[in-house]
Amino acid sequence: MSKFTPADLEKMSKVSCDKPKDWIKVGMSSCGIAAGADEVFNFFVEEVKKRNLHIEIKKCGCTGMCYAEPLVEVSVEGLPSVIYGAVNKDVATKILEKHVISKMLVNDCIFEVLS
Amino acid sequence: MYTKVILVKDTDLKRADKTREFYTRLLDYLREADLHEQIQVVRVADIGVYEQGLVVKILPDKIIYTNLQDTDIKRIVDLTLSEGKIIEDLLFKPKAKQCRIVLRNCGKIDPESIEDYIACGGYLALKKVLGELGQLKLIDEIKASGIRGRGGAGYPTWMKWNFAREVVSAEKFVICNADEGDPGAYMDRSILEGDPHSVIEGLIIAAFAIGASRGYFYIRAEYPLAVERIEKAIRQAYEHGLLGDNILGSSFNLNIEIRLGAGAFVCGEETALISSIEGKRGTPHPRPPYPSVKGLWGKPTVINNVETLANIPVIISKGGKWFSQIGTQTSKGTKVFAVTGKVKNSGLVEIAMGATLREIVMDICGGTLSGKPIKAVQTGGPSGGVIPEKLLDTPVDYENLQKLGSIMGSGGMIVMDDDDCMVDIPKFYLGFCVEESCGKCAPCRIGGFQMLNYLKKISEGKGKPEDLVQMRRIAQAMQKASLCGLGQTASNPVLSTLKYFEDEYNEHILNKHCPAGKCSSLVTYKIIEEKCKRCGICFNNCPVKAITGGKEEGYAIIQDKCVKCGQCFDVCKFKAISKK
Repeated sequence: MSKFTPADLEKMSKVSCDKPKDWIKVGMSSCGIAAGADEVFNFFVEEVKKRNLHIEIKKCGCTGMCYAEPLVEVSVEGLPSVIYGAVNKDVATKILEKHVISKMLVNDCIFEVLS
Repeated sequence: MYTKVILVKDTDLKRADKTREFYTRLLDYLREADLHEQIQVVRVADIGVYEQGLVVKILPDKIIYTNLQDTDIKRIVDLTLSEGKIIEDLLFKPKAKQCRIVLRNCGKIDPESIEDYIACGGYLALKKVLGELGQLKLIDEIKASGIRGRGGAGYPTWMKWNFAREVVSAEKFVICNADEGDPGAYMDRSILEGDPHSVIEGLIIAAFAIGASRGYFYIRAEYPLAVERIEKAIRQAYEHGLLGDNILGSSFNLNIEIRLGAGAFVCGEETALISSIEGKRGTPHPRPPYPSVKGLWGKPTVINNVETLANIPVIISKGGKWFSQIGTQTSKGTKVFAVTGKVKNSGLVEIAMGATLREIVMDICGGTLSGKPIKAVQTGGPSGGVIPEKLLDTPVDYENLQKLGSIMGSGGMIVMDDDDCMVDIPKFYLGFCVEESCGKCAPCRIGGFQMLNYLKKISEGKGKPEDLVQMRRIAQAMQKASLCGLGQTASNPVLSTLKYFEDEYNEHILNKHCPAGKCSSLVTYKIIEEKCKRCGICFNNCPVKAITGGKEEGYAIIQDKCVKCGQCFDVCKFKAISKK
């Protein structure tokens, strides 16, 4: 792998890490994993493949709302970016069917709205 | 496509949840007004406002209305949603807000991707330090920021760095202290797991500031995922020329290694930590000489906490002056707290210094889980103290907490309600310190043990009034004569509970009664005959067969056999068992 030069860093910092694209982030720190986040993560990866959806599934750290783990942040064009809490397979299915496909927020599971 | 979203949540815990009713009414009215295709109504699990009745939040305008009645629906739809007017008498202005500097990337980036970190401005601070600032200007910038160590003691970071820089030595070291051991505290773990590169960048900058060529991460072995992610991040940094020789093409070299702590609490103390890295037994030794002058292998060493290091890149990028505008006169910047205990929303909270404890516990974390009033908040782990409810309006900073007999500590915050006993809490913390005491100095080894014995006696109802005097004397001796921070502060939980809750101690000693019902020796369980429905569930659940009788003649507890586990009390559906 190549070594970075100062100019490389400058250039790379201009690229936003959240490209204006649809994505789902699953909080995968100890607290999330203890609450079952890796199962949810794998479930998302499989379902997205099965249903042939164009959405990226990513891992991230802990946002701090430990009472509501596993936390899943969803960003879909045209909807506010939200964090779903206490996500299990049922909620994950709803997120894909309602939020991602029908572009509607899912009832009773949102813990924070980011934008 | 919806143009607006309305979030709905009933935040009143004292009555039945009305979210669904309100949601249906709102939907009906929207349909009547023919707006239901432009506006989506969503029931949410948490709306960020607590104890304010029915709450709606309108997006994208971010208008929050609280304490709503069904009659308000018409106004909200007709005025705010149709005409964009704000209804002043319903409007809620959020009081406390989190301010995320340390946790800026946690939950945002993939911790295993260096590209993500760089895309969020990562390693640009390092570039600025190497390319523009140089050692002296870097330390000036840190001085201007006013940042103080986040590990607990609050020593100004720039002074630590400057001392080590001034010493002439062929070899110097930097260490990141990630030996987080306070019960209930996990801020450092979350930072290491969520944003490992920010800590590495901070450590590289610290090394450059003092001219160190080697660095260590001292992480406790109980954090396997944090270790794994830091390992991976270090590997990535090496691959991309951010560690190793000639970092970013400059003449600066730094090599970083990981050392695992074997779970001794005292190894979070800097001199003990150094001994542990050297491969010796992890015991503290007297200071001075401070590690900045004579540390690891006798060489100048800077030891910084994870949270301090995670602050450094932001300070460099945005400037020390920007950082110094956040916080209070003496304590700059933000602090991450791990709020746990009897609180509704437990988790990590990062606030600007100077926010009050009440704002943290009530406004951000939503108050107690049970809805009972808060009795006290414990800060600073086993070295900290208990702050009673009446002092919760104190702004949080290093000095204020110290004045109250507690400390900032690494950032654990445990919320307690009426069910927590103020003799039991210090007994737990002191027990922890006695267990973790390395035994090198007598005040800590013997003093802690003796004080714990007094606490045990009191909680068993065998205490005498003069015990309190003796406990205060031992506490004073420990504070003055102990070798390291562990012993000096181990008596804080006892002293602060004695200061604010002496009545509760006296209740235990004089009336042999535990008001919270925690001290099992002072509690008796009895079956109230009038209320008992003779269902027999207590009889079946008693683990020691201390309940006799049958469905015909009724049940009774044999006091001599009872081990006071509370099983019968918990399982009784008719509240027919009294606990006194």
